[in-house]
Amino acid sequence: MLGFSNQAISNILYWVTRKRWLIVAFVISLFLFYIPSPETLTPEGHRTLIIVVIVLILIMGEAIPLPAVAMLILILEVILEIDTPNGVATSFMSDAVFFIMGSLMLAVAIVSQGLDKRLALGIIKMTGNKTWRIAFGFVAISAILSSFIGEHTVAAMMLPVALTLVRNTSKDQKVVHRLATLLLFSIAYGCAIGSIGTPSGGGRNVIMIGYISEFGLGSISYLDWIKYAYPMLLIEIPFAVLILWFTFRPNQTILDSAVRKLKVNVTKTGKMTGNQIMSILIFVAVFLGWVFLSPYLGLGIVALIGVFLYLSFGLIEWKDINRNTNWGVIILFGAAISLGIQMKETGAAEWVADQAIYGMQMIVDDVGFLRWFISVFLTGILTNILSNAATVAVLGPVVLNMGGDPIILGLTTSIASAFSYLTIVASPTCMIIHSSGLVKSSDYLKAGWKLFIMSVFLLFLVSTIYWPMLS
Amino acid sequence: MKFLIAIGSKEYSEPTLELGMRVAKAFNAGVTIVYVGEKISAFSTSEVQLAQENLENWELDRQGVDVLEWAYEYLINHDYITSSGDIEGFTGEKLVQIDDDRCEVYLEGNHTQEVGLILRNGDIIQQLRDEVKRGEFDVTIIGASKKRRMIHDLIQYIDSSIFVVKNYQREKHYKMLLAVNDAPNTKKAVKYGVRVAQSFDLYTTAVTISSTADFREDYKKASAWADKFLRRSGVEYETRLEHGKFTETMNAIATDNHIIVMGSSTKSPLVKFFKGSKPLKVCEECNCPALIVK
Repeated sequence: MLGFSNQAISNILYWVTRKRWLIVAFVISLFLFYIPSPETLTPEGHRTLIIVVIVLILIMGEAIPLPAVAMLILILEVILEIDTPNGVATSFMSDAVFFIMGSLMLAVAIVSQGLDKRLALGIIKMTGNKTWRIAFGFVAISAILSSFIGEHTVAAMMLPVALTLVRNTSKDQKVVHRLATLLLFSIAYGCAIGSIGTPSGGGRNVIMIGYISEFGLGSISYLDWIKYAYPMLLIEIPFAVLILWFTFRPNQTILDSAVRKLKVNVTKTGKMTGNQIMSILIFVAVFLGWVFLSPYLGLGIVALIGVFLYLSFGLIEWKDINRNTNWGVIILFGAAISLGIQMKETGAAEWVADQAIYGMQMIVDDVGFLRWFISVFLTGILTNILSNAATVAVLGPVVLNMGGDPIILGLTTSIASAFSYLTIVASPTCMIIHSSGLVKSSDYLKAGWKLFIMSVFLLFLVSTIYWPMLS
Repeated sequence: MKFLIAIGSKEYSEPTLELGMRVAKAFNAGVTIVYVGEKISAFSTSEVQLAQENLENWELDRQGVDVLEWAYEYLINHDYITSSGDIEGFTGEKLVQIDDDRCEVYLEGNHTQEVGLILRNGDIIQQLRDEVKRGEFDVTIIGASKKRRMIHDLIQYIDSSIFVVKNYQREKHYKMLLAVNDAPNTKKAVKYGVRVAQSFDLYTTAVTISSTADFREDYKKASAWADKFLRRSGVEYETRLEHGKFTETMNAIATDNHIIVMGSSTKSPLVKFFKGSKPLKVCEECNCPALIVK
């Protein structure tokens, strides 16, 4: 056929089936390019929205590597004459990208110090050997730690603790399935709940802070964020434990022998080393920097100072940071933030916000409630099928253009992006516990939908009762 | 020859491993066992890698290592590989990251030469295709899957013969069913089938199926060639000329107590992609193991 060998045709077919979402994105973008722009939307805004559609399809379909998606965004922004090459380059790098880069590197530095064994000992000392208390300890510690050092750092440190307890209980996976599910989800959901607590809990919080400041809508400090978000984090912990316990109640109500074996295992590590003490001190310094210096230096630069100190003191080697840092994600978020800024600049974000409000007004009249509903539900759903940080990067400019108090809407959106309970792809922590092989995809829905509803309800109460008291 | 056996879990992969190893032994083939874990989202690859590296500090295995360990012990317990005596189970073996999505287990002594153990993560078709290309395997052996189009994709995109181990029961006495026609791959398929039949001492049926009662001369010649080959090979056999629909007739003869061996279709990949092929349909609808020889 057309001079192609069967092998060549087979290879082409293989490429087409694997890259079908790339082809779909291309066809849809061509179609959108040739339809006339709506009257209320600028041509640049129209072309920006085409890029948004392409990016959403490519990220969801994973048709091409993430760095390739990032490059496509930057290329299209210039080719479609949305901005100049220098303008695109300027919008690509920001403090939020520095923060994402720095926090991913800090995660590698912290995890490699072997502090997880001390953490395990601390948790077990606090909780004792009753399973429900261990689950409570896992959720609470994961939530509180991840609010400061980021969710996947905590998940990477907590995973071996949970797996050791499970393996010490029984090697038969059928016997320990519910116990494993309970402990692993306690980590994943604890981390998700915790990530809302402070700006450093997740890159998406910093992206939102960056948008608010970039668009001239105000500013929110590290401590302000804590005042708004931390109470909700603390309230969510017991509810999450109850939901997890009643969904995955295990047969083993006491983990006596498993806990004893874990204690023996972790006490072998001896006293805290100088490097470990230095690591903790550096992180405390970074935290203080975020609290007191971020208004002057930015959250990203403070995180990079932390990485610089870890490298300078020889606590981590560059090759380890290089190997375990997801450079593709950093580049993608840089490009996604650039796209978000172009959405604002070209009026695309405002147009989408107007259309969403107008469309929903046919069902509900209350615009204030509509803004809240769109920011929470759209973010909550997209975060579970896309990824939480990508969701905020794309939706942030739209939400901030819906009117109302941008700080409140920005916070609401960032917090809703932590409701990543329903799928494996929702967040790295969900993926980390899934990689243990002990939880199935269907397990995520079992407790996830209950946590999702509980979290939305709590967010509604906090944002309508508590937040107005702060302003 | 080189065989690749894909396994998924301790619970469901025993028949695949058992039959795969028996067939590999018949061919005196080198065997590599591969476990393909689920795809990791591109957003989380480094984070998952970090968590998995941290597990090693706790002497905990990553997902899939336990399945490979089980497979390794199964091979030793069933004398498919020799036990050197000084090796206890999986102790001392090393998991080495070769690529982002591929790890190899290096076994002690000469076991690495006897059997390869590979751990992969990602889309199963892509991973098996890459592994087959990398290792130049002749046959890929895999258990039946409930996933739609799995068999189609295996046959369409993997550049080796495909043996789908469906509904295999060790205690059952199987027969061999060879599909014979004038297609170029038939001779290779008959040779493969006879080798297995000789090794397992299976009664063999070589069937030539025509859609009409009037058999083409090429079909008759192919059947005669198969008859001669089977007679010389010394296996107990019969040759049959049947008319009817290919898939229905093959499955009616095969029921659940045959091992089917067929040559792959020579149709254009484009036609096979949209319309399928006879071997594919037999493989999808049969209730017994089936080998499609490329």
